[in-house]
Amino acid sequence: MSIFCLGVNHKTAPVEIRERLAFVEKSIPEHLENIREIGSVDEAVVLSTCNRVEVYGAAERPGEALDRLVEYLVAHFEVSPDEVEFYRHEAEDAAHHLFEVASGLDSMVLGETEIFGQIKKAYATAQGSGATARRMNKLFQQSFSVGKLVRSNTRIQQGSTSVGAAAVDLAEKIFGNLGGCRVMILGAGEMSRVTAQSLQSRGAKSIIVSNRSYDKAEELAAELDGKAIHFDAWMHHLDQVDIVVSSTAAPHTVVHRDMVEKAVAGRRGHSLFLIDIAVPRDIEDEVNELDNVYLYNIDQLQKIADDGVERRKKQIEICRGVIHEFLEEKGIEALAEIPASRRQDGESSSSGKPSSSPLPNS
Amino acid sequence: MDDIYLIISTLIFLGGFVLAVVSLRSGKKGEVGLNFWLAAAGFIFQCLFLKERGELHGRCPITNGAEVLVFICWSVVILYLALGKPFRLSLLGVFSMPLVFVFQVLAIISLTLNDPGARPPETLDPWLEMHASMSLLAYGAFGLSGIAGIMYLVQDRQLKSHDPGRLFYSLPPIRYLTDAIVRLLVIGTFLLSVGIVAAFFMKEFPDAIHLTASGAVWVVYGILLLVYLVRRISPKPLALLAICAFGFALLTLSLI
Repeated sequence: MSIFCLGVNHKTAPVEIRERLAFVEKSIPEHLENIREIGSVDEAVVLSTCNRVEVYGAAERPGEALDRLVEYLVAHFEVSPDEVEFYRHEAEDAAHHLFEVASGLDSMVLGETEIFGQIKKAYATAQGSGATARRMNKLFQQSFSVGKLVRSNTRIQQGSTSVGAAAVDLAEKIFGNLGGCRVMILGAGEMSRVTAQSLQSRGAKSIIVSNRSYDKAEELAAELDGKAIHFDAWMHHLDQVDIVVSSTAAPHTVVHRDMVEKAVAGRRGHSLFLIDIAVPRDIEDEVNELDNVYLYNIDQLQKIADDGVERRKKQIEICRGVIHEFLEEKGIEALAEIPASRRQDGESSSSGKPSSSPLPNS
Repeated sequence: MDDIYLIISTLIFLGGFVLAVVSLRSGKKGEVGLNFWLAAAGFIFQCLFLKERGELHGRCPITNGAEVLVFICWSVVILYLALGKPFRLSLLGVFSMPLVFVFQVLAIISLTLNDPGARPPETLDPWLEMHASMSLLAYGAFGLSGIAGIMYLVQDRQLKSHDPGRLFYSLPPIRYLTDAIVRLLVIGTFLLSVGIVAAFFMKEFPDAIHLTASGAVWVVYGILLLVYLVRRISPKPLALLAICAFGFALLTLSLI
């Protein structure tokens, strides 16, 4: 009995293929049942996300099981075998692959954490459907340990990988918790909306929107649960906000040094963070010379995001080292043979019965 | 035996600093957290040194320059251990360690060259002990506020440069650093006030130089806090002033 993994991801298949292979969430238990009727497949877990579709399993003859599984997927999802090339991993390779996936090393955004929750959900679904037993339980529980270990011992999550994330991370490096931060949006464009939403997701509460067209300001303010103000009034609110996101379509700068200087004087030592995502730029460069005022434009944010990606890439080998050390110490439990005495006690992996092994806490 | 404790403590602080720097450079996490426990281990050996010296003198071991330096280091470390986590400044320990290391090396050299030996008091004056220990604890708080000030300036520079380096992601947000500077200044000024009040109850009133030096430090920090609280000066000058004020406080030590 050994373990295997079969799948496609963002590196091996375009979105047109991935979307056709994606499992509908509520149909997964039924698929798990079907997969376990294939050849010698004894246990199975389906991981289906935007960037990957993978089936993990345990089978007496993994090579044969993988072939039959490909036939099943091709037939069920109505894709031609020529259109899609599945990757296949067996035994240690399958475990290594899952551990890297759980650590975010195989993600489109390197080091992202969402995949960890998605794996947990996939495992819980399989466990709830009675599709897991000893090997899948051990494999997935070990993957959770590895994922946590990698994230807590490396800097794989450090640094921003997009302009929006860079802006939000910088805001947190200035204000810490964004809970009490007040935000002003100048220009009701898409970029403003996305950045404001990112700030809101980290706790920013009070949002003021100002736009040359007041209707658009009102529209965005309603969407962000904020307040709209007329464009000729925004400078009167500058001393009341902590973060300004500017993306107007003005052909010249709209925020000048003297305006910010005046506003900062009334802020009693509180910092002001200005995010200029407009091209041409909205905010005069000289504003950054003011004490306690931090100005970033789109190129500077993009550079931070690019550096963040590079920084994370450099962490890959460190992460692999952590996984290697973990496996040197613990081994792959899912591949360990069961002592004969325990097998007689009914702990055989080929039970097909629902597992009683609990989900670990996150 | 006391000098051995001091050497061990100093080596631990050096090791902690080197480990933190290597950890920050390597990109691995974890060792920075270990720094807290190394600071705690160094602190234990500081306590053992001060205990031995206290037993030697039969009073609070601040009878010479070397002991005063170690006591200030002890104050810095105990305040870091107590306040580093609540203030969300775990990296404060990493920045404190070079200061603690240098001061303790100076203390070791001083004791090696000329250890004045036991200086038991003619009569034990609890107010004198209170005055000295509270004042040096205050120096510890002022030292940490200066270190938080350095951390603020480093982080501010990185934010202004638009090219954040490796330290940027490890250093705390500048708002937390500003809060820490202010809180440490408040704690230090309060402790120094207690120390100065205690001096008025001492059997032997301090001489004019001692009194002037202590008073000058108190006035400097009092004005700094007052200016910040009333005028709300920007955090950058506050950080600079916290560093300068600690430099001034250290200069007055030779007079005290």
